[in-house]
Amino acid sequence: MKEVRELPQEPGIAEKHALPEEFGELYDRHSPAIYYLALRFLGDPQKAEDATHDVFLKAFQRMDQFRGEASARTWLYRIGINHCRNLQQTWNERHMFPSSDSAIWENTAADDTPLRILETKELGCRIQASLDAIPAEYRLLLLLVSDQELSYEQIGALTDQSTDAVRGKLHRARKAFATAFAKTE
Amino acid sequence: MKHQSKFSTNQQQEQAAELHAAQKAAQEFESVEQLIRHDARQTLPPPSIARRLHESIGQSDAPRRAWWRRLLE
Repeated sequence: MKEVRELPQEPGIAEKHALPEEFGELYDRHSPAIYYLALRFLGDPQKAEDATHDVFLKAFQRMDQFRGEASARTWLYRIGINHCRNLQQTWNERHMFPSSDSAIWENTAADDTPLRILETKELGCRIQASLDAIPAEYRLLLLLVSDQELSYEQIGALTDQSTDAVRGKLHRARKAFATAFAKTE
Repeated sequence: MKHQSKFSTNQQQEQAAELHAAQKAAQEFESVEQLIRHDARQTLPPPSIARRLHESIGQSDAPRRAWWRRLLE
C-alpha cells in the first residue's frame, strides 16, 4: 500500500499569475511533480522549465480531451513523458547507455545498504549524475515510483508494460542507481 | 547583562548550527525512492513558469476564425 503524501508547492503561485481558476489549481497541485520529472529526466534546469511550460500549455489546450478516466496526475505525466522523450530524441545531446548494456547494471553486486549522504548541498548533483548514468528506462521508472501518488498499475500504464514488468525492472533500476550513486562520492 | 544575553544567544545559535550540520552529515536514506523524494521535496518549479504560461494562455485564447468565415466576411 503506497502512502500518499502532499507534494511540496508554493501555494497560490498560479493564482499570482492569474491562470484560469480550475487550471490554476491543476498547475499548483501538479507542477512540482512535472517539473521534477522534467528536470531529472532531461538533466537541465532551463530545458525542464521550458518542458514544464509546454506540458501545461498542451494540457490547457487539451482540457476538453481530459475525461477523468485517468487521474489528472497520470494524464499530465503522460503528456510530460512524451514531451521529454521527444525532446531527448531531437536534441540527442546526452550520452546514454544502449539498452543492451543494461546487463552491466544487472550484474553489479546488490547494494541494499542505506544510501548515505555526507553533504546535502551536493545531493541534487549526485542524484542527477546517478540518473544520467543509468538507462533512460530505469531513470523514468525510478522517478515515477518515487511519486507516492502513483500506483504500480499507473506506472505500468504510463510506461506501456505490465505491473510485474515494472516490479522486475524497478529492482534492477534500484541496483543500478545505488551502484552509480556510490561512484559519485 | 544585555551583552551576556546576546553572547549566549550567539552561542546557542552556533550550537544549533553545529547540531544541524551533524544531523545533515549523518543523513541516510533507506531506499532510492526515499532519496529521490527528499530531492523532489527540495526542488520547486521556478515561478517564471507560471508567468510564461499565463502569457502563452493569453495568446492561445485569441479566437481563431475558420478560413471559410474569413471568406464570408
